[in-house]
Amino acid sequence: MEAASVNQPVAARPGTSARVRDLLSKYGLIALLAALPVYYGISDLVNDGNLSRLGENVVAGLSNGAIWVLVALGYTLVYGIIELINFAHGEVFMIGSFVSFSLYGTLGLTLATGPLGLVVGLLVTLIVAMVTCGVLNVMIERVAYRPLRNAPKLAPLITAVGFSFILQNVGVLWQGGSQRGITDLIDAQKVLFTVVGVSVSRADLLAIAVTIPLVFLLTAFVGRSRLGKAMRATAQDPEAARLMGINVDTTISLTFLLGGLLAGAAGLIYALYQTQIWYFQGFTAGLIAFTAAVMGGIGNLRGAVVGGLIIGIIQQISDNRDPTGLGPELTPAIVFFYLVIIMVFRPQGLIGEETREAG
Amino acid sequence: MAALGCLFGVFALVVAACGSDSSGGGSSGGAKVSGSSLTVYSSLPFQGTSKGQSTAVQQGEKLALKQVNNKVGKYTIKYKSLDDSTAQNPGTADEGQTAQNARKAVQDKSTVFYLGEFNSGGTKVSLPILNKAGIAQISPSNTAVGLTTNEAGADPGEPQKYYPAKTRTYARVVPKDTIQGAALATVMKEDGCKSVHIFNDKTTYGAGLAKNISSSAKQQGLTVEGNDGTDKNAPNYRSLAQKVKADCFVGSGVTGENYIQVFKDVAAANPSIKLYGPDGVAEEAFTNPKKGGIPASVGARTKITVATLGLDEFKKRNNAEAEKFFADFKSTYGTSKPDPYAIYGYETMKLALDTLKAVGAKANDRKAVVAQLVGKTKGRNSVLGTYDIDKNGDTTLTDYGLYTVGKDGLPSFQKVLKAQK
Repeated sequence: MEAASVNQPVAARPGTSARVRDLLSKYGLIALLAALPVYYGISDLVNDGNLSRLGENVVAGLSNGAIWVLVALGYTLVYGIIELINFAHGEVFMIGSFVSFSLYGTLGLTLATGPLGLVVGLLVTLIVAMVTCGVLNVMIERVAYRPLRNAPKLAPLITAVGFSFILQNVGVLWQGGSQRGITDLIDAQKVLFTVVGVSVSRADLLAIAVTIPLVFLLTAFVGRSRLGKAMRATAQDPEAARLMGINVDTTISLTFLLGGLLAGAAGLIYALYQTQIWYFQGFTAGLIAFTAAVMGGIGNLRGAVVGGLIIGIIQQISDNRDPTGLGPELTPAIVFFYLVIIMVFRPQGLIGEETREAG
Repeated sequence: MAALGCLFGVFALVVAACGSDSSGGGSSGGAKVSGSSLTVYSSLPFQGTSKGQSTAVQQGEKLALKQVNNKVGKYTIKYKSLDDSTAQNPGTADEGQTAQNARKAVQDKSTVFYLGEFNSGGTKVSLPILNKAGIAQISPSNTAVGLTTNEAGADPGEPQKYYPAKTRTYARVVPKDTIQGAALATVMKEDGCKSVHIFNDKTTYGAGLAKNISSSAKQQGLTVEGNDGTDKNAPNYRSLAQKVKADCFVGSGVTGENYIQVFKDVAAANPSIKLYGPDGVAEEAFTNPKKGGIPASVGARTKITVATLGLDEFKKRNNAEAEKFFADFKSTYGTSKPDPYAIYGYETMKLALDTLKAVGAKANDRKAVVAQLVGKTKGRNSVLGTYDIDKNGDTTLTDYGLYTVGKDGLPSFQKVLKAQK
């Protein structure tokens, strides 16, 4: 009785707090996400009389974000199915860029290559980069994670970090430790068209044009195909899936294959978009993409897409606004500030987790 | 047995106490080297984008040593080459590796000279370690102002913090960035620039030089519209490039700090802007598109200043030392067109050897060597021309070379710049 009376008022407080948290979770985050574009939108209207600068930020953010989406999907797929943060995934993406660059030479892709040759050559490069990264990811799973399936969770985490370093050093041996400028095959920054003052470059179009079909294909595969169903079943309960006759190991390998395929595609787009490659690019990109996956809701494909695009836009707005207080030096802080706020008020991410723990 | 253990323990403590040194070993002040063999260390970045320049410096150093058959008076000179870059941090001096190199030289009792670093940021690390041990140091390429003086461009506490022994042990054979800043401002003014935007790589060298460029540009009537730091790890600089509205741009950084991408992005965002770079990008890795450098279209708009002059310029000046250098270089390495930095490597070693020669029998005395180098190098006739090393360790030479990017993708000498300070 005494205990109950002591607990009563205390119990009332979480109720209020929960309601506030719920409201913030529902509407506060939307307001927070909209704050940056709305503020700078008003600022642009006042200063420039139009919204083209903000529009350019959003377009560049979407195209940059499209690359993060492809990498983030790899993180989220793997986490969704075996609850492992595959730290080596960023480096698989880096290998994708390196393979693509090497293929430029092999296929003779230069500035002098005609449009048809370029399209065919880049398609071949895309396929080879995707397959290479897919196979590499499967091999990493087979060597470093599968033997540790029943080990404490820390063990595969450490092997993942180990593989990340191994692949970084492969990158150093392969292309050296400095950023390497590569041929700008598509004239990446050339403006293709301008809509209401917002210009869209070739790089923007390429990133979005490659990402959208790949995301649709992946979503359709996971949602509708027999193997996709096996993946979802394994993600929900591997033991039950095994009892139902699903080959869990093969399903997990398939997940790594899909993640690797997307990382390979992202690697080529990155090389064409940035016109430089670097052994350390995977670390930075991996960190951003993992943040995107967590922001959207780890294990959730739509979450990775939403998270990647939001981070891309936040980065571009922040990078481009240094006279008003923000700037490239503050961009990582801004991105992680958003992540922290979202996690505090919505720990499951914007769209919601889809993991065993989340149910 | 226990007593023996105690005795051993005390002995170990005494040894440890005697040997401990915050700079990694070595005695403070200039010790005398015993024996007839003296060692000259050379520390340069051999990995990444600076490899070509470092190799050129090393070729010059070896050539100078070969000319005297590794002998100065009664002493035999040993040459030890060290790499101050790492695979993970190539193209520039890695701070950890540089400190390790300096400690290695300090721990070697036969060390009389340390030639390096190539990058000012590296010297910032090695200089205090070597200064404490009283070892003379000469850099073939450092330009950061703060290494020797507290003039504009230096950070607070510079240069005193690099000289814990309170004596000057460092000299350089290239003019400092006060001169380079003025040279860049001069060429921009000559080219009709009205305004300039500067990016700097936030290193000791890049940030310091940017301040010098900014102040010289203002003195010459140019409007400085910005001086922004860049992050080496950024995948691109498109957002930053979009804010550049000036008619001229200077990238105050080194190739290894991602300055190929910086120039590419600024050029793409501003199709008519004139581009300028300092000696930090005066290398094939930056200028040659076939080696991953800036595209030819960007190279055509880029001018670079370097403290080295063209080979023809040296010949034109009827410099007997230069004539000898070119002849010997050709007979040793088979080419009469060495990278300009070979000349600076050559002069660095020549200065070290002539300093040892000047002190004669005291060439094994670090203190005497340092006093000769910094205090008494006057009216020196060299491959670079006639110069002094002043009391701060700076050369009195002030000529800078203006380079464009040649059709072969290599820096191509255009003319000598007489900087208006």
